[in-house]
Amino acid sequence: MVLLFFKILGGEASKNFARSDISFGFGWLGDPPGFSIREGIDLQPNSGIRALAVGGLNTLRVAFSGIVAATLLGTVIGVARLSKNFIVSKLASFYIETIRNVPLLLQMFFWQVLLQSRSSLTEESVGTKLFDVSNKGIASTWVFPSTGFWPWLLIMIGGYYLARKVARTRRKYQEDTGEDGHPGLFGFLTILGVAIVGWFVHPLLSFLSILWDGIGNLIGAVPAASVSLLIAGLAVAVAAIWIKRFLDTKRTPAGLGKLTDDDIFRMIFAGVSALVIVWIAFKVGGAIINKPDGTDASVAAVLRDGLANIFYWFGDKFTGEAGSPLAISRPVVEVRGTGGFIQYGTTGILATVAFASVWIAVTLYTAAFIAEIIRGGILAVAKGQTEASQALGLRRSQYLRLIVLPQAFRIILPPLGNQYLNLAKNTSLGTALAFGEIVAVGSTLMNQTGQSLPIVLVWMAFYLTLSLSLSGVVNYYNRRMALVER
Amino acid sequence: MSVANNKDVIICEGVKKWFGDFQALKGVNATVKEQEVVVVIGPSGSGKSTFIRCINRLEAHQEGTIIVDGIELTNDVRNIDKIRSEVGMVFQQFNLFPHLTILDNIALAPLWVRKQPRGEVEEEAMALLERVGIPEQADKFPGQLSGGQQQRVAIARALAMKPKIMLFDEPTSALDPEMIKEVLDVMKELARSGMTMIVVTHEMGFAREVADRVLFFDYGLVVEEGTPDHFFENPQHDRTKLFLSQIL
Repeated sequence: MVLLFFKILGGEASKNFARSDISFGFGWLGDPPGFSIREGIDLQPNSGIRALAVGGLNTLRVAFSGIVAATLLGTVIGVARLSKNFIVSKLASFYIETIRNVPLLLQMFFWQVLLQSRSSLTEESVGTKLFDVSNKGIASTWVFPSTGFWPWLLIMIGGYYLARKVARTRRKYQEDTGEDGHPGLFGFLTILGVAIVGWFVHPLLSFLSILWDGIGNLIGAVPAASVSLLIAGLAVAVAAIWIKRFLDTKRTPAGLGKLTDDDIFRMIFAGVSALVIVWIAFKVGGAIINKPDGTDASVAAVLRDGLANIFYWFGDKFTGEAGSPLAISRPVVEVRGTGGFIQYGTTGILATVAFASVWIAVTLYTAAFIAEIIRGGILAVAKGQTEASQALGLRRSQYLRLIVLPQAFRIILPPLGNQYLNLAKNTSLGTALAFGEIVAVGSTLMNQTGQSLPIVLVWMAFYLTLSLSLSGVVNYYNRRMALVER
Repeated sequence: MSVANNKDVIICEGVKKWFGDFQALKGVNATVKEQEVVVVIGPSGSGKSTFIRCINRLEAHQEGTIIVDGIELTNDVRNIDKIRSEVGMVFQQFNLFPHLTILDNIALAPLWVRKQPRGEVEEEAMALLERVGIPEQADKFPGQLSGGQQQRVAIARALAMKPKIMLFDEPTSALDPEMIKEVLDVMKELARSGMTMIVVTHEMGFAREVADRVLFFDYGLVVEEGTPDHFFENPQHDRTKLFLSQIL
């Protein structure tokens, strides 16, 4: 029925498209988009797909930095609202009630106007700064990866696992002997030690570049035709495994339990999703696009080369050159070009007015909701738990760490995930501020090419992927934290 | 078994407590001797729960003195900590930690408050579970146990701190009738072992069988006290007579 419905819908749509001269295709993915983007990894993208990638990355950038900042701020405000200090708790309430009752778009405009009304850069402001706000945006000192950062990061990952092992040994010592083993302190010292030693010995890892290049060569050698086949096979395999595991959960000792319509629909949905991916893999994967260097290649080949290039790029970072892995970079205000424009230089980190407005607005807005979720989670831990802990003589810090946090976390997690999804989707309002995120870029592309339906499909696919990834992470932790009930 | 010559471990004199405008305790005088089992009964709202919650400072009294094992309860946090480590408490709603296994529930306080080694703590926890009759539940979570089993775990958890005194705040009121007996059996065993106990309860059978002394609370005061025989057979006060006529 459902398939028939879509078939009729698709047929009607294509008839209407033909009548009103709207074409439907993906050729624009390879064509030059004919516009520039104000910020991102590439300001002059040479193909539609690259323009969308720039927009998508801008969305991800503001969404993830927003999620981190909103979580931190929301936690602080949520705890502040529970404070016994009258002024602190009233301030937190005031913040929450004000921020969440003003439309988000209005708040974005507010920050944009506020930033734009800052004075512009003048001759006097030329020089190196620590932190600077002007009508060009917010420039700040930042720490960037530098020589040997990637080998050092690899060492740090090893150091993290070592520190965990050390902390565990110390905790066991504490439990076995009853003496304080300071597991946290020992773990911290271990990772600090590894960081310092790794800072100087990272050139020793240069031999790994052979490994990364080897993997890159291996991927590059896969024929373009099999890339589509590989993606299609993977999709089918994942769907098959999912359906099998889903059926396993329905199996009782007496045999397969009765399946509800919902169960059957879920399995059909998984199967159809796999088939759609197969269709896209062959349809889009085989399409020929024009590469920046002027040659033609199939989308599948471009994807394959892109993946291989990641490993080549990684291999290039293992040069064995000595130097500090992290570099502090300070922003400068400089006179640029012959016209004598005064601008921020390329050092430090610069948030444009559009980026900063969107980021500040979604962070403050979501933090208000997160604060309420945190407060609710802490309050939802039953009062009896406090009394039982007190009666046993637990200290307040122990009570918070051992009793409240683990219980509050599992209450907080699902609604917190919702707020993350909301934040990610709310960044699309940035289009009203001409922030070059995926909706803004897509709208411009739509105007240029007239391909509205395919671009809407790309938007939907992008936000669906983003939402599913976020909720996947949240669900994973949720399952781990769930209470065992009867 | 006579406890008449034992020394007093809890001495309360003129204890008063207000919740806002409402006065819950109006000057309670009571003493409890070592190894004595005192049962507190009375109508709801009479202040009996508030009274035993004052003994380990879950509620702070505003006037009068409470001395537990020679230590006076004041706002001094060190005294509160000391008394709490000597006084165990069992609640009406069990208040087990739902995110910890039964064994971890019992082991938590000895591990973190007494800082005992884990091996020792777990051995003792298992011994306590044997004592309350459910060693096979050690690795389950509270949500998987029946009410009676949960309350027995709660008793084991309180005992794990090796308290000198145990407080029971209506331990059987939230239980299904068929589970009350298993909890009362554990409490009787505890009483026979010589534990000092204050029990707020509506189980008159338990009071008659186990109590050394019964305190009858009404309107925030101890209206009548005496041995179970005196109390049930020959009550003096009209309030006591009325109360007993309603429940017996």
